[in-house]
Amino acid sequence: MRPEELMPAYEGGPQVSAAARFARAMLGCALRYWPEDSRAWGTAMAAEIDEATNGFDAMWWSLGGLMFFARSVLSSTWAWLKLPAGSSLPGSGAGGVGGPLMPKRSRLFTAVVLAVAAVLLLLPEGREALRTVTASWLEYEMTSSDQRALDKLAARAEKEKDAGTLAFVALSPTPRHDSAHHSQQLERTAAMVERAVALDPSYIWVYGAKNHRHDYYPAQKEWVTRLEMADPDNAVPILIEADAYVEQKFATRYARNYPTEKDFENLGDDPQWTALMGRAYAAPKYDSYLQKHLQLMRAVWDRDPNLPPEIFLEGLWSHTIPDLRLLRTYAKVRLEGAEKAKVSGDFKQAEAVANGVAAFGARMMSSSGTVIEELIGVAISRMADKELAAIYTSEGKIAEAQAATAHSDELERSVRKRIGRDEAGRAERRRGIDREAALVQGCAILGGMSLLAAVVGVLFVELWPNTTRAQRGWWCRAMCFAADYGPSAVLIASGAFLICFRPFQKVLADFRVSSFQLDDEHRLTDAMWSLTFVPEHVLGMDSAVTFWSALTITLSAVVVAMVASGIYRARRVASRA
Amino acid sequence: MGVRIRLSRQTLAVLEALLVRPGEWHHGYSVSQQTGIPSGTLYPILMRLEKLHWLETEWEAAKTPGRPPRHLYRLTGAAREWARDELREAAARKFWKPAASGAGA
Repeated sequence: MRPEELMPAYEGGPQVSAAARFARAMLGCALRYWPEDSRAWGTAMAAEIDEATNGFDAMWWSLGGLMFFARSVLSSTWAWLKLPAGSSLPGSGAGGVGGPLMPKRSRLFTAVVLAVAAVLLLLPEGREALRTVTASWLEYEMTSSDQRALDKLAARAEKEKDAGTLAFVALSPTPRHDSAHHSQQLERTAAMVERAVALDPSYIWVYGAKNHRHDYYPAQKEWVTRLEMADPDNAVPILIEADAYVEQKFATRYARNYPTEKDFENLGDDPQWTALMGRAYAAPKYDSYLQKHLQLMRAVWDRDPNLPPEIFLEGLWSHTIPDLRLLRTYAKVRLEGAEKAKVSGDFKQAEAVANGVAAFGARMMSSSGTVIEELIGVAISRMADKELAAIYTSEGKIAEAQAATAHSDELERSVRKRIGRDEAGRAERRRGIDREAALVQGCAILGGMSLLAAVVGVLFVELWPNTTRAQRGWWCRAMCFAADYGPSAVLIASGAFLICFRPFQKVLADFRVSSFQLDDEHRLTDAMWSLTFVPEHVLGMDSAVTFWSALTITLSAVVVAMVASGIYRARRVASRA
Repeated sequence: MGVRIRLSRQTLAVLEALLVRPGEWHHGYSVSQQTGIPSGTLYPILMRLEKLHWLETEWEAAKTPGRPPRHLYRLTGAAREWARDELREAAARKFWKPAASGAGA
């Protein structure tokens, strides 16, 4: 019988006090978990407790024993850490140290290497890289965790009476799968918009930017009225009202199908809509509040760089602008009116109408809004210029007609040139950033796979050391190899991942701090989309093509290797013969 | 002994206690009572001395039925001389003061 096995059985004589019994029980409990290499010493100490003359002495002896136990556990853990995975301390009665296949690197080395990798990834730069790359695998779609982050942000903003952050949260889109709570969400958002404007009236533009034309509810009608009063020169609030009117008019049709071209053409006969559009076209300013939205987004992101990137990207990509199809439809209606005036000989009226349309197009072009708004502005201006040229020709004003045609051509040329130049620059930049994105994703995949291999390898070797030691199969080799080299691969991949992510980090930082250049937005959009290239091939529609291509390449490589090996062996046999 | 290690005051006190009756076996509790060193400090010292082969240990047969056997300790023959040298030297350096019994001095 081993001496320590006697300890729990003996509880002292009948005169032993409760304190002494408790002290003995504490030591007995510690003995059950005492490390094997010093358990005999723990047993020796426990055996002495009955020598204590009173309960206090017994407790004091027992406390010393617990300290000794803690020290032994630490010392034993340290010794265990210095052994490779799957090895056990001498005298523990399990497994042993080493083996031909067993890992060579100590547990301490593995733990330190993994800890360094974790520290690298927990640095602010590492967290940003991880957040962004993870979001790219989800195609920057908002999740419920993003919604929680927004809720926290809103609560903090409410507490600090921060109108800007409240406006930002109100403008952020909600997760797509959260349609069940859509109406509740709308109410909460509406309350946030009201609160932001109440705290700082300069955020009244949020009334316009928060424009869900499909959910045009009474509060929004009130908002548009207030916005029109606050920003009377701007065409956009009136266009929001006109959009909502058309939306409601086509509501029954939308329930069955989309409205037809004829429905849009017939809008010209609707006096309420034409009156609204007429006011919008006559307004001296066109501003869809994109710049203000971008400015707000940058300010919030700069203050809270730890927020998930998809919140900002979704916000950036979902900025609402007036219905551009309706803008073109109204331009056509107006120009048809000009044509009729021309045919009836009222050239002055025809010129005034066409010039009004051209002026609206020019305002849209120079509004610093989205690219699509600029392009629609150009299209409207060109339509008006063509009509003007026809009117001037009918009037016999050849020089004016030529000038209108030249202006139209010049407009087209300059826009094509600029867009072509921009697109060429973007395409070149995209090629560069695509390569960098592939490297980032490659490192991320390598790191993730290495971590998985390291965890599986270490767990396997630790849980079944004797099986691993006894086997010589390829899977055993693979497990030992993974346990030995997996952690180092994780560290290398993490370092490379952070280095490769630096260009993207710069793009994100530039977007947060720069002035409101559209170019920064393009750079950000291009960089973020380039990161989705690899995930699309792995998880998206191209995954089947990628899988079969990879399989074909791998099998081809195996076949080539087998043929080469066969030829080599045949030559060796021939040369020996 | 050939090997010199840095000895703490507590270790010197334990050596002194073990040298009181060097040929006899000592119990841990009595050494603790003699030196005033708590159990959490005493046993790591005994363990270290045993690892260095300066301490002999033995399990005493249980005197009361059901009671666990007790562990006994005494310095090895070679360690006794070395311990006396160490105690003398430490006393000369005024690093350590011998107890009234003066076993090591």
